[in-house]
Amino acid sequence: MVNTKILTNEFEYHKPNNLAEIFKLITEYGTSAKLIAGGTDIIPGLKYERFSTKHLINIADVQELKYIKEDQGLRIGAATKLNEIKKFCAGKIQYNGFYDAVSSIAKIQILNMGTLGGNLCTASPAADSAPALLTFEAKVALSNGKTQRVIELIDFFTGVQQTVKESDEVMTEIIIPPVSNQVGSAFRRMVRVAADISKLSCAVLVNRQGDSCQSARVAMGAIAATPVRLISIEGMLENQKIDESVLNEIGNAISEAIQPITDIRSTEMYRKQVAGVLFKDVFQIAWQQAGVQ
Amino acid sequence: MEKNTQNNKHIIQLIVNREPTTLLVDANDLLINVIRDQLGLTGTKYGCGTGQCGACTLLVDGQPILGCLTLAISVNGSEIITAEGVTSPDGSLDPIQDAFIDNAAIQCGFCTPGMILISKNLLENNPSPSEDEIREHIKGNLCRCTGYNGIVKAIKSCAEQNQGDKSCTP
Repeated sequence: MVNTKILTNEFEYHKPNNLAEIFKLITEYGTSAKLIAGGTDIIPGLKYERFSTKHLINIADVQELKYIKEDQGLRIGAATKLNEIKKFCAGKIQYNGFYDAVSSIAKIQILNMGTLGGNLCTASPAADSAPALLTFEAKVALSNGKTQRVIELIDFFTGVQQTVKESDEVMTEIIIPPVSNQVGSAFRRMVRVAADISKLSCAVLVNRQGDSCQSARVAMGAIAATPVRLISIEGMLENQKIDESVLNEIGNAISEAIQPITDIRSTEMYRKQVAGVLFKDVFQIAWQQAGVQ
Repeated sequence: MEKNTQNNKHIIQLIVNREPTTLLVDANDLLINVIRDQLGLTGTKYGCGTGQCGACTLLVDGQPILGCLTLAISVNGSEIITAEGVTSPDGSLDPIQDAFIDNAAIQCGFCTPGMILISKNLLENNPSPSEDEIREHIKGNLCRCTGYNGIVKAIKSCAEQNQGDKSCTP
């Protein structure tokens, strides 16, 4: 039985002041080191002995990784607290789906601690920020101090808690490309109580022209090993006149298309049945929003 | 941050409930245990230990965080308010504490310190919250007695009182 009151893992604690110091520490300690930013995933992981570490590198106060600004879209430092992002995006209607997703993460205490880079690097299939960022076709920057690469977020995740990030790399930035004015976006999730981890989540971004959907992006969380884009569903929505029967049809197609598993939070049957309904709800919110702009 | 090489402990400085204090901690000491065991402030509760229940909520530099998921060493230099620190130095209760008593917002009392702190944080940022805003803000603090109605009522009554004399905000 795990004692969650204490941390039994003993480690050396490092607190780099800037990016260069982070890279130096990573080079020195390699795979015997772990990065910690908010600690909301790392600490439970250490408590449950999902992993252990000899060196813990706290990057929470590295100012180079803490910013959010509008610059040809949105650029966010990986160690920016989720609550800062929530505050920045409040009222910025073009980022509505992303704002919905960040605000719905757990609770105020977790938003004050957790970071966007941490939410993505943990690579939980249920990470709430991920489906929304996927609909915005976000990119992430990974750097090892010598070279930097910018990749699509969709290519970042490779499996449950697995990513393409090499052990000598740090996620430095999340980039949301510019969003057009006709776009509406939304995110909703299914939970048992409000602060839970999602059983199922859905993000939609829609480009609307009157009654017709020019294009749409649909992503879901907690239905596969990684957060996923539903490309075939997006194809069905392209240049499609939107009405109730079309949405019902697409909702059914989603329930057919996805292959979720049964786990501690939900069952395969529940996830399949609810996915279609959740999509319809989220789509309609995004659709309405695209209509008023 | 200094390190005491003899016992491999780290020296950290905190301001806890307005009192500056210097502590020796291990790198893996959690803030909740330093607050409870080293400082003897047992108002802060250990509930789930995994960030789900909110019983260990503390205000660090004014922001609610979870003591069970925070390394003490990582908040070096911070100002911390625990449930004990909500009470005035002369021992008189804060209006939110009075409101919890007046509205019977306490059953077993285990969630109460966390609830008081999260409520205080809410009223500091939003002096007249709607019921939805109250429930949204306290959603991460679980009451296993399910006494939420009393808690929401207490926060509301404190906020209403607030409209009159501003006594619920600092």
